[in-house]
Amino acid sequence: MNGAGPVIGFWALAALTLVAAGGVMVSRNLFHAVLFLIVSFVGIAGFFVLLSAEFLAMAQIVIYVGAISVLILFAVLLTPRAGRDNGETAVFPAAALLAVALAAVFLFVIYDADWATITSSPDVSVQAIGDALLDIWVVPFEIASVLLTAALVGAIMLVRTPEEEAEDALA
Amino acid sequence: MTSTIKTEPFVINIGPQHPSTHGVFRIKATVDGERVIDAEMVMGYLHRSMEKLAEERTYTQNIPFTDRTDYLSSMSNNLGYCLAVEKLAGIGVPDRGNAIRVIMAEFQRLASHCMAVGAFTNDTGAWQTPVMWAFREREKILDLFEMTCGARLTCNYMRIGGVAFDLPKEFMPGARKLVQSLPGFIDEMEGLLVENEIFLVRTRKVGVLSPEMAINASLSGPVLRGCGVAWDIRKADPYCGYEQYDFDIPIGYQGDSFDRFIVRLEEMRQSVRIIEQALDALPGGPHSTQVPLALRPPRGEAYGRVEGPRGELGYYIVSDEGPSPYRFHIRPPSFINLSALKEMTVGGSVADAVVVLGSIDIVVGEIDR
Amino acid sequence: MPLPILATNNWYDFRDLSNFSRLILENLDKILPHGIVYVVAVLLGFVASFLIFVLPSQLIVGVYGERKLIGRIQSRYGPNRVGPFGLLQPIADAVKLMQKESLMPLRGDVIVMNIAPLIFVAPCVLLFAVIPFGPRMIIGNIPSALIYFIAVSGLPVLAAFMAGWGSDNKYSLFGAMRIVAMSISYEVPLVLALLGVVLFTGTLSLQGMVFWQRDLNIWIAFAQPLSFAIYFIAVGAELNRTPTDIAEAESEIVAGYLTEYSGMKWGLFYGMDIGYALAASAFAATVFLGGWSFFGLDKWVPPWLIIVTKTQLFYMIFIWTRGTLPRLRVDQLMAFAWKFMLPIAIANLFVLATERMMWVRAFDADLKFVWVFVPINLLFTAGVVFAWARFLGYRPENTPRKARLVNQAGGFIPLGGAKGETRP
Repeated sequence: MNGAGPVIGFWALAALTLVAAGGVMVSRNLFHAVLFLIVSFVGIAGFFVLLSAEFLAMAQIVIYVGAISVLILFAVLLTPRAGRDNGETAVFPAAALLAVALAAVFLFVIYDADWATITSSPDVSVQAIGDALLDIWVVPFEIASVLLTAALVGAIMLVRTPEEEAEDALA
Repeated sequence: MTSTIKTEPFVINIGPQHPSTHGVFRIKATVDGERVIDAEMVMGYLHRSMEKLAEERTYTQNIPFTDRTDYLSSMSNNLGYCLAVEKLAGIGVPDRGNAIRVIMAEFQRLASHCMAVGAFTNDTGAWQTPVMWAFREREKILDLFEMTCGARLTCNYMRIGGVAFDLPKEFMPGARKLVQSLPGFIDEMEGLLVENEIFLVRTRKVGVLSPEMAINASLSGPVLRGCGVAWDIRKADPYCGYEQYDFDIPIGYQGDSFDRFIVRLEEMRQSVRIIEQALDALPGGPHSTQVPLALRPPRGEAYGRVEGPRGELGYYIVSDEGPSPYRFHIRPPSFINLSALKEMTVGGSVADAVVVLGSIDIVVGEIDR
Repeated sequence: MPLPILATNNWYDFRDLSNFSRLILENLDKILPHGIVYVVAVLLGFVASFLIFVLPSQLIVGVYGERKLIGRIQSRYGPNRVGPFGLLQPIADAVKLMQKESLMPLRGDVIVMNIAPLIFVAPCVLLFAVIPFGPRMIIGNIPSALIYFIAVSGLPVLAAFMAGWGSDNKYSLFGAMRIVAMSISYEVPLVLALLGVVLFTGTLSLQGMVFWQRDLNIWIAFAQPLSFAIYFIAVGAELNRTPTDIAEAESEIVAGYLTEYSGMKWGLFYGMDIGYALAASAFAATVFLGGWSFFGLDKWVPPWLIIVTKTQLFYMIFIWTRGTLPRLRVDQLMAFAWKFMLPIAIANLFVLATERMMWVRAFDADLKFVWVFVPINLLFTAGVVFAWARFLGYRPENTPRKARLVNQAGGFIPLGGAKGETRP
């Protein structure tokens, strides 16, 4: 891909993603923040398309826009007084510390990475990804799925009340 | 529906402007998630002061008022009022008048049950198809009413001492034709809904009412019979010569919404049976006795009741020998039947509440009077 | 993959409308600067698919046909006043909606509420990009079209949620909550059902699936009846069609997330609801019903006409169910998705994978042997549905469906029966 198109696309997407990411932080309304987060997810999916990784872009939309953000919306919905602003919370220092640490890690990676461009585009077809996932990377893939299952079970255990556990024990 | 996630209860208004409250009726439901934990009925939006107005009008002038209480069964309302006044004044009704009254009251029951069954299935979410089918049949019945007394909804047909007009010539063939086609329609309705798995899961064990509760709350009509209580004024306290006709009382099994539905369907069949017998045995003679327009019944009180489509419809009249009643009170069946609404809705979901409300078959004009 | 050319390359050959568009594009390429023609091509593709497919389908079949057909089901006429046979009714409706005042709730989140219809409309247009209307009539023949379709069809849920939240109405919030919960629940069996199709065809490209079905002269709906059934039920739930239209359940929560909308903002939701149903029908026609092929008929009849017909017929089933069935309760629907559809979808996938394995190992991937699996899968479908229903404790209810009859009035009559009772 050459010409002006990808360049224009890149800068447009970059602006969209960054503005949306800024919106997530600035927005005082929790619901608006989630919507901004979704916009930035879509922008990232656009980057994947620019990199000819359509499958990753689709996966980004399916998983992040279609599933994860909907789950976040649900969490917002089930939170009491979700509409209140999230400006002053008790965990502000901890969050700031975490943000600084994360930024440091990212900056280090960006500084450290070898940004030499590649000449030939790698094979990112669905078949190649499928082969890779179920061939050389099968162990990490399976570990990830086990982790997710554990998380699912853990989530169910967390929301159970002691009364229900007592009921189950009786039954 | 047990919920594991803690939610804050909040109040939603079902009505007064809601597609399935059948008028301007309002349930203030407190819900926890989708589960109703409290239901409060708010009524009176349609109050027209019928009982007070009736104290200023003569006995005959009050008949059109009764049309407007339960506007879906005006014939039965007329009948109940006329029975009360006749009891008070000691007026007899000729045989032909009684037979016409029975025919009209049963046709009215059919028309009203068509509406009830249709609206109930609409509440379960069958998108208007059963309603339209039921309306098709109801229209034919209303055509017969129009033929007889000129009005379709507010008939004002019964008079103290009989009925207003004799049956027109074309009534008998029309009625016979309709009576022959109605069982087919009832079967069709049954085939569409009673075998439908979705309809069954939506109505079975929804809004269950125990027979003790139903009797204690003095419910009547299909709601009471749905609980398995065999009670029908037509059998228990016959009027208008109902004792001559052969019919059965349909009763339900466990008092849920589905039982009320099948009881209504079966009642339609029984009504068709009664009409057939009445049409066959229609006596000749006058349709009405002569009653003075300015009727002054002797001092006293009387309670006249009929089995309306929704239950026991009673009129309590006190006379002080004046031209108008001293006190006029209506016992509206839907109002009394509604008193068990909270029992039936609490614990179910919002969708169930709507189904239960539909299964009671309320008419707000009668509740608020 | 070399495409078998079914039609000639002459621009007037209406069996393949891409000839005509190619003629336009080639001439435009000579005039315009390099690269712009691709943008034009995409726009032209959208406009063409919109004009020959979406718009007529939506107006004639979606709005008019739905109302007319439901009218006939309900023994009434349906629209018959505006234009010949009432055909102009959708246009009259649209004009009415456009001139209506757009009411906004005072306390609502006005920005979110205004953006929601736009977000609802955009994915619907995008969905038609990957539907093949003919061997060469496809806007974006991307290799992972199936995932694209699933991804994009998940977006309107967000718009519905925004609409429900922004309205600041309890009914709207109920509707929004329900639609999100429904779509999460039914997406799982839907994707599992489609995965079975991918196992057989070995491709994620919709065009590839059509060619697979065309080469074997078999529709996947026959080869995998259970996948088809799961897809139909799940997509009905995602699209909010009766009997699963709990998010807009009129008798319970007024109009769900659309309660506070009026005018053309409501019209966009309404129109695009039909648009999504048509997209899902076109997708089902492509994946399960052979797409633009029809057992060789596509050599003579324009393929785009075949898929349009299939889509409309599939859509008719949605209208039919809407006119006939009552609505399930929300907890019953959720239980159905998780307890019934998901396990049998997984079992289905397992069996299909085994078949695929046998077919590759035993029959040397000879495509002809796929016919062997048709009766097996039919039997399996019937068996697994029956067995799982029994396992869940479902029994055909024997409680009577007709009221008891009593001849004499009395008190409470217990179920055992009493004097004068006649069993129906």
